[in-house]
Amino acid sequence: MSTFRRLLAFLRPYRRGVIWSGALAAAAILATVAIPYISGVAVDAIHDHRRGRLLELALLIAAAGFVRLGLSAGRRLVAGRVSLGVEYDLRNLLFRQLQSLELAFFDHQQTGQLMSRVTVDLQAIRFFLGYGLVFIVQSGLSIALAAVAMFAIEPGLAAIALIPVPFVVYVTNRYSRLARPALQEVQQRIGELTADTEENISGVRVVKAFAREAHQRARFERTVARVFEQSMVEARLQARYNPLIGFLPQIGLAAILLVGGRDVIHHQLSIGQFTAFYTYLLMLLSPMRTLGVSLGMAQRATASGARVFELLDRNPRLTAPAGAPPLPAGSGQVRFEGVTMRYAPGAPPALHDVDLEVPGGRTVALVGATGSGKTTLAALVARLYDPTDGRVLIDGADLREVDVASVRAAVAITGDDPFLFSTTVADNIAYARPQATRAQIEDAARRAQAHEFIERLPGGYETRVGERGLTVSGGQRQRIAIARAILADPRILILDDATSSVDATTERAIKLALAEVMAGRTTFIIAHRLSTIALADEIVVLEDGRVGDYGTHAELLERSSLYREIVEKGLPDSVLLTRRQRERQAAGL
Amino acid sequence: MSGSRATRTSELRRRLRGTSGRGRRLRGLAALLAPYRGRVVLMIASLVIGTAASLAPAPLAAKAIDDGILPRNFHYLELIVVAFVIAALIVWVATAAQTYLVEWVGQRALADLRLAIFAHLQRLPVSFYERRPTGVLISRMTNDVEALDTLVTDSVVTLFQGGLTLVGTLVILLSFDLQLALITFIMLPLIGIASLVFRIASADAYRRTRETIGHITGYLQESLSGVRVVRTFGQEHRHADEFSALNELNRGANMTTVNMNAAYFPAIEFVSAAATVAVLLYGGNQVLHGAIALGVLVGFLAALNNFFDPITQLSQLYTTYQSGMAALDKIFELLDEQPEMLERLDAQTLGPIRGELRFEHVSFAYAKRDGDLDRVALDDVDLAIAPGETVALVGATGAGKSTFAKLVARFYDPTLGRVLIDGHDLRDVTYESLRSQLGIVPQEAFLFSGSVHSNIAFGAPQATDAEIEAAARAVGAHEFIQALEHGYQTEVGERGNQLSAGQRQLVAFARAMIADPRILVLDEATSNVDLHTESRIEQGLRRLLAGRTAIVIAHRLSTIKGASRIVVLAGGRIVEQGSHDELLAARGAYAELYRDWSQVAAAA
Repeated sequence: MSTFRRLLAFLRPYRRGVIWSGALAAAAILATVAIPYISGVAVDAIHDHRRGRLLELALLIAAAGFVRLGLSAGRRLVAGRVSLGVEYDLRNLLFRQLQSLELAFFDHQQTGQLMSRVTVDLQAIRFFLGYGLVFIVQSGLSIALAAVAMFAIEPGLAAIALIPVPFVVYVTNRYSRLARPALQEVQQRIGELTADTEENISGVRVVKAFAREAHQRARFERTVARVFEQSMVEARLQARYNPLIGFLPQIGLAAILLVGGRDVIHHQLSIGQFTAFYTYLLMLLSPMRTLGVSLGMAQRATASGARVFELLDRNPRLTAPAGAPPLPAGSGQVRFEGVTMRYAPGAPPALHDVDLEVPGGRTVALVGATGSGKTTLAALVARLYDPTDGRVLIDGADLREVDVASVRAAVAITGDDPFLFSTTVADNIAYARPQATRAQIEDAARRAQAHEFIERLPGGYETRVGERGLTVSGGQRQRIAIARAILADPRILILDDATSSVDATTERAIKLALAEVMAGRTTFIIAHRLSTIALADEIVVLEDGRVGDYGTHAELLERSSLYREIVEKGLPDSVLLTRRQRERQAAGL
Repeated sequence: MSGSRATRTSELRRRLRGTSGRGRRLRGLAALLAPYRGRVVLMIASLVIGTAASLAPAPLAAKAIDDGILPRNFHYLELIVVAFVIAALIVWVATAAQTYLVEWVGQRALADLRLAIFAHLQRLPVSFYERRPTGVLISRMTNDVEALDTLVTDSVVTLFQGGLTLVGTLVILLSFDLQLALITFIMLPLIGIASLVFRIASADAYRRTRETIGHITGYLQESLSGVRVVRTFGQEHRHADEFSALNELNRGANMTTVNMNAAYFPAIEFVSAAATVAVLLYGGNQVLHGAIALGVLVGFLAALNNFFDPITQLSQLYTTYQSGMAALDKIFELLDEQPEMLERLDAQTLGPIRGELRFEHVSFAYAKRDGDLDRVALDDVDLAIAPGETVALVGATGAGKSTFAKLVARFYDPTLGRVLIDGHDLRDVTYESLRSQLGIVPQEAFLFSGSVHSNIAFGAPQATDAEIEAAARAVGAHEFIQALEHGYQTEVGERGNQLSAGQRQLVAFARAMIADPRILVLDEATSNVDLHTESRIEQGLRRLLAGRTAIVIAHRLSTIKGASRIVVLAGGRIVEQGSHDELLAARGAYAELYRDWSQVAAAA
């Protein structure tokens, strides 16, 4: 099915509205076309001194005007509702599609690109479906009906009068096609200017610290000049086409004046008919332009439609088979069976043939250098991705065979750079359990050592955070996120470097509280600090996507030289680092 | 209830009046246009000529009927048609000139305005930025200037043309026939009242549509940025429902505008039909009585279109005009903001410094928005730092460490006391000469979009490639930069987001290194960067600090231990100072802090 046909399909639920607005528009145009016609007859009546007829005709015009009032008001109401309905449906449809796509999809997409699908492209489509289509029908009908009326009066003159119409439509259409990319480039450059501004305001301390005001100003001047230049490109296009579009119909008017006037002189045309012709051409000025512009809208909507359908047609992966059972009840036992994970086909594996079994209720620390696969392992437990090979099981169930929502409800992850929504602190903590009571929220916050600082915020738990609210520090964000994970009451809790920005004194307090929270749940801890690792019953040492060793503190002390070194030196980071360097040296790198 | 009505009334009054600050606006606009006087005159001339010529067809048509067609004078008709075509050609040329000139002058004035705002923002002190959310300032430069842009590109021409056409048509109608014209003008109050009601109501409605669409975009943006959290907690349905609700609000707001437009525009059309009826009836009778010529009546009917079109066009412009003017007010408000902490007129250029830093009984309190002083951030701090010494500032959040650093860079002036470098009070020297000898490395390394090369060169614009590489090598950044896809020419992205936090930190070190400052102020990053970079940063830091006077807000044990002196701040006061061993032995505040640190860092 062509893109254009698919676009029209969005109107299907509003079939009645579309038909009604078409009918109302046609009727209103009929009334509009009738007015100059009647006026022309009236002028003839005046010319022939028929006073009684004049009154009749004047009343007829009043009636036509009144009928048109009702018709076009009705048309606007109906068409407006159709347009808004289509916009509403499309936007919801796109959002739901975005919500159903798997995380891997977003890894490869720029947020800005997706945003522009849902804003710019959607706008082009709804303008066309909501207004463009009506305009095309309306102006087409206006031109056709006026042409019929003119041909009925005098075919020869009608042919002359209509000569400018195709030219105006063509030139307008051409202009709207050329102007579009030029305008987009202007927008693009304004975007650069915005980014430049943003950077200079956010980075004002750096600029001032290095006394580089003049340099930054020169850079900004160039950006401003780029916007100006492109605006002028657009202005030149406008100056070339718009006045021409205004000029063409004037030729038609002049022709009517000359040829029609001569006909009146030679008694081949009445003065009233002449007036009607003249008025019709004046009346057609705007439909001619509108038709050109609307045809441009149609082309734009088709291009946007193609981009939107590309998004809508993408099937969500990471779904469960229809009627998949929820995750079975259990203690939170996690099993990896021969799991290999690549983020993209051909990419080096992030996990390589991992076999691991963690009994329910256990606390396991994942230790390893950056890139060793700790975060990937955690993401697979929550089924944020599916493994390339092998299986991940929770309480005996392959994650691919159970309801996704039930898996996500059973697993909570919190990371080192957690995202908070721009809503209140309380709503952020209650994110996974919107129906939680205030007491439960405060309890979770206390355990995460967040209660105290939240109480001191200007609005306490009702303080808004995020972009449009209060900016909280990295450590505070981490604590709110930990509270959020605690309140979710998951069977499996994953703390991925979750306290890295918290100061030393607070971190110690969080650790104490966490020991209590972790009881009765399976917990994965990813950390760089040995004090955090010490909270674990068992330790998994990851090396380049493979499990290097797995065991209790005592076992690993016994058999893993790496682990022993970590404990002796006290700082796992420096141990891993120096080992790596030594290995590299050994490998001749 | 009555209260809300009262505010509603005053709001209405304010909007109707809408004249507050008109003088300021006009003066501001005049100042913006002044450099382009010549072009502005040309622009206005082409607008007037073009509009005048575009009004010609109606009276020409009337002439053609009365003096050419009806008296059967074909030669005269030909002359009229020639005049008609000439008028059309004039319109063509004048419109082309005017389109280009309006855009040129408008865009040039906007460019100047942007530069003026930018330069003004640069003159404002850091304290100004700390009192205002970044978003608000950015919005002055973006949303508000863009509102003016819309006004310039879309509306100025319509505004002028519509206004001129309206006045011109009025004159033409009056010159055709006074009585007929007066009959037409009976419709004016009707249209006037309808337009007034429409513009007041629609300003509100359109504002609501803009707000609701803003919420939708914001929500969308957020659910895309936070997609990982949404997936992790499985809250997709809730977001879809909330989005749906916002979408519904937007539809509701738009529905109001649809309803209003459905009432207004057909009504105006109807009034124009009613005017046709009135003119036909009355004018027809006049023609029958021989009081006016038939051509006048026809010309009059043709000119009626010109009369009603501009009125509808102008009322559509109203909202654009309103928001443009509001934007202008906000921009001028910003430009009227007086830069505090201006350099003294007799400020001296600070010569090459040795790097001796002294705080003499310095107290400082931040100013609150209402101008009052907030609680004291530094309280009678007295401290002398010798050239080449590294001092670690230690203390809890809010102890005054960052304030101390800001006073050294003279982002603020002390409320009491003096800050001296090599014996010069900072208030007596020029900003340029002070800051070019200072290096400041903030906690979150802020990079500008551009290449790694240009970011390092930010610290010393004339630096050669070799010098840049040497600086990068010195702080241990060269290795990772080399490994990047395009080496030193790699684009770092907006705020450096293509680099990791640790890499950004290293580039910021190189930037400070190449500036080769005598005094270095450094706020250490707290968060864990990846292991590899972590130790590199430590090494880089050591090389950066060597041989300079350095004030480090320290978070790492290694830095603290390595400092020649540790200054412990609490509640804005210096509570302890000395070397690591001395302070440990003293068993005071530092010893307590150290216990927490070491437990977290090392306890098993």
